[in-house]
Amino acid sequence: MAGVRLSHVTRRFGNVVAVDDVNLEINDREFLVLLGPSGCGKTTTLRMIAGLEELSEGNIYIGDHDVSQLPPKDRDIAMVFQNYALYPHMTVYENMAFGLKLHKTPKDEIDKRVKEAAEILGLAPFLKRRPKELSGGQRQRVALGRAIVREPKVFLMDEPLSNLDAKLRTQTRVELKRLHQRLGATIVYVTHDQTEAMTMGTRIVVMKDGVVQQVDTPEGIYRRPVNQFVATFVGTPPMNLISATLTSEQGRFVAQVAGQKVALPEFLTPGLKSMTAEAMTLGIRPENIQLLAESDVPAGHLPVAGVVRVIEPLGHEQMVYCQVGDNTVVVRMDNTWRGQVDDNVVLAMESDALNAFDPVTERSLLTHETPMLA
Amino acid sequence: MANPVTPAKATRQTTVRKPARRIRGWDNRMAFFTLIPSLILLGVFVYGFIAWSGYVSLTNWNSLIPTLTWAGLRNYATIFSSFRFQSDLRNLVVFTVLFIAGDLVIGMILALLVDQKIRAEGLFRSIFIYPMAISMVVTGVIWSWILNPTTGINLFFHALGFTHVPEWFLSSRFAPSVHLGQIDIGIPVGLLAVVIAAVWQMSGFAMAVYLGGLRSVPEELKEAARIDGAGPWRTFWSVILPQLKGTTATIVVIQAAASLKVFGLIYAMTGSGQDFSTDMPNLNMFQTTFQGDAFAQGAAIAIVLLLLMAAFTVPYVLSMLRGER
Amino acid sequence: MAARRVNQTLIYLVLIIASILYLLPVYVVLVTSLKSNAAVSLAHMWNLPAHPGLSSIRAAWAQLSQNFGNSFYLAIPATLLSSALGAINGYALSKWRFRGANALFFVILMGLFIPYQSVLIPLLRVMDTIGLYNSIPGLIIVHTVYGIPITTLIFRNFYANIPDDVLEAAKIDGTGYWGIFRYVILPLSVSGFVVSAIWQFTQIWNNFLFAVSLTNPPNQPVTVALVNIAGSQTIQWNVQMASALLVSIPTLVVYIVLGKYFVRGLLAGAVKG
Repeated sequence: MAGVRLSHVTRRFGNVVAVDDVNLEINDREFLVLLGPSGCGKTTTLRMIAGLEELSEGNIYIGDHDVSQLPPKDRDIAMVFQNYALYPHMTVYENMAFGLKLHKTPKDEIDKRVKEAAEILGLAPFLKRRPKELSGGQRQRVALGRAIVREPKVFLMDEPLSNLDAKLRTQTRVELKRLHQRLGATIVYVTHDQTEAMTMGTRIVVMKDGVVQQVDTPEGIYRRPVNQFVATFVGTPPMNLISATLTSEQGRFVAQVAGQKVALPEFLTPGLKSMTAEAMTLGIRPENIQLLAESDVPAGHLPVAGVVRVIEPLGHEQMVYCQVGDNTVVVRMDNTWRGQVDDNVVLAMESDALNAFDPVTERSLLTHETPMLA
Repeated sequence: MANPVTPAKATRQTTVRKPARRIRGWDNRMAFFTLIPSLILLGVFVYGFIAWSGYVSLTNWNSLIPTLTWAGLRNYATIFSSFRFQSDLRNLVVFTVLFIAGDLVIGMILALLVDQKIRAEGLFRSIFIYPMAISMVVTGVIWSWILNPTTGINLFFHALGFTHVPEWFLSSRFAPSVHLGQIDIGIPVGLLAVVIAAVWQMSGFAMAVYLGGLRSVPEELKEAARIDGAGPWRTFWSVILPQLKGTTATIVVIQAAASLKVFGLIYAMTGSGQDFSTDMPNLNMFQTTFQGDAFAQGAAIAIVLLLLMAAFTVPYVLSMLRGER
Repeated sequence: MAARRVNQTLIYLVLIIASILYLLPVYVVLVTSLKSNAAVSLAHMWNLPAHPGLSSIRAAWAQLSQNFGNSFYLAIPATLLSSALGAINGYALSKWRFRGANALFFVILMGLFIPYQSVLIPLLRVMDTIGLYNSIPGLIIVHTVYGIPITTLIFRNFYANIPDDVLEAAKIDGTGYWGIFRYVILPLSVSGFVVSAIWQFTQIWNNFLFAVSLTNPPNQPVTVALVNIAGSQTIQWNVQMASALLVSIPTLVVYIVLGKYFVRGLLAGAVKG
């Protein structure tokens, strides 16, 4: 196992910059997820680590070796493809053994490793079958097995679950996580599915238009997004963005939301000081708001008045869409809450969960010292 | 949770960036290298030889002794003013038009019939395509027997009571016959026999291509037309046929190329015919060159053929390659 | 429903009539070649032979047997060589993106659309100079070279259907250009080779122009021999038809056994990759 380092990695296709100056430090035994919408450069980044795509600029290190110029076979990596890319003319056993055979591994060693991997993945009964005779889930596991037997320094996975049905995907997610712990492997995993990213990643890299937006733990990405893109790309429904006007009263910052004053918490002060314009954007997740009576608002919560517009029951919870001035704010309530459309309500926002953005740059106004959450 | 708000771009290192080389370069270069033998062979045998032929066509090499002195366009002037080559061009146009028209119509009818979810579809398809597997020369020999004026098909006409039976490929009539300069403009009746044989041989190709085209017309489109109240004929003319424009163009180009190459069929079936009524540029070139030893004139005929061919195949191949991207 | 049944009957009727017309030459060839020399008369051409016999076929075989050998000796190596070159070219052009790949493909493909008369004079000179005029090896070279465009097209289209990620998996498993060809592409190429080989065999076997231009007796392939028999002074229709039958048997057998693949070759020039 080994870490991976990307230094100023850039990939251009003609005039299009697919990956723009990416710098990343992937730790040994880490499960790093590259997350972003399609076309954000995450797959290109992975393929450059694999050696399937050339670098236009920059360097990639695996362990201490600069592998930027090496062909895939000399990088000591293994890859799981979105469409599995199994060799159609080989049996399951041969598919897994092929890479080892090319690396001149002794026959009995190949046999041992293939059988071990087959055992782990529950493929033992299918070793003599061809890919055509397997189900989607089984093929996916053969692709995994082909990577495992290689015992590579790094596993690269390109949306390996996207061709499975929803149920199998959930199940395989858990298996992959267990496999990661069991093998102690370094994994770089590409997905556009935030659930996969949140559940499996030790850290997540969010990308957009070839540029890394944020590198952080799943919790960090979720709670303290660095900009409005990350805030809205991660989470369903996404983080509420509420436009407000910034004023200052007796040295404290106050936001005006639809004519209502919201006294902003202390931890936002350092960041807000840099603001020169009056306009700002508040960010808060739907579960960090409660709909309460004015008198019930507890300490540490900031009340804003609004009107219920749409109620979306989801069984175990409900999404309540409220209008606050020109903003629509989603609130996640449990299924015991009773309310009606057109009700006047008070939205009590947890002040610790508040985020603030500059509406021009869309960047977060939080500083490094900002606490995660109380 | 040390640095939750680290803009990725903030940590630019100050290392000197060296330009990356192409890691896949070697394998891609290998791909190019593997093409070299074929490129050399075709470079010599196709492009080199064409250039050579072009050169020969501009010389005085019209005897067994290769006189490679410059003649300019004299050989072209000679062939274009010759009765035989003028007849060839007329025959080529008549043959190509009739052959392609016959192919398109018969191919389409057969494709439509075979496409009716019939039983034994594979058998019928095989029957209509099998002539494609036979040599043009064989076709020529067989059809010169079937269309022999004193026997063959004419026996049926006799049995039906006709006294004026067709002379088939032995006919030297033109219909209509309009004198233009030294040649008759019109359809050489003798050539019709060759067209029949050629259509028999090649219509399976048109059928196969049309069948593929018909099957790629989305079923919903036909259903939509039916819901809009179109009958089968209306659906065919207004919905299906417009969808097959590209298919038809493909067949026309490929068959026109085939018709420009027709050689063995004529050679084995009719030869040049009386007054060159069934002659073709290909046959003319062959005989001028190898029997008449007029190499430069033969080369000139070949170059004219090549230019005719290039006029429609180059755009076709270019559009085909462009369509891939 | 009744209208539908009438329609169906009509369709089958037309199909059967068309089939009879398409098979008519086969009937003529068979009945004529099973008649003896004396039994062939112009007036009774369509009649079944009263005393079917193989004498005509035997007579045709006596004249053709050596040319049969020539044709096999020509068609088999030329088929294999041009298919092998086509596979190598098709692999390079479909699976590797190098600068100018499309332009080179165009250069190769145009070789498919030339009238061969336009290369014939230099071809004869060159073959004569290198001592391969009037020899089967000379014809093998000619058919191999002029077969490259179509075999390249066939394999390029065929390989386009093999997903690129399978090749990438092989790269990551540790092999390069030739390893991928050897371990991944070739094992998946069987039907591509069948298509290419059938097409090339048929084309080479049936070719007349190169055969008649480049060979003299006794080195001529069957197509030339057939024309010689047909053009001889005494027209023996029974022997002509028997010869036509014999000449067609190899390609027809291939067609009947592997027709599906023949049609794929037939459509190769018309269907985009």
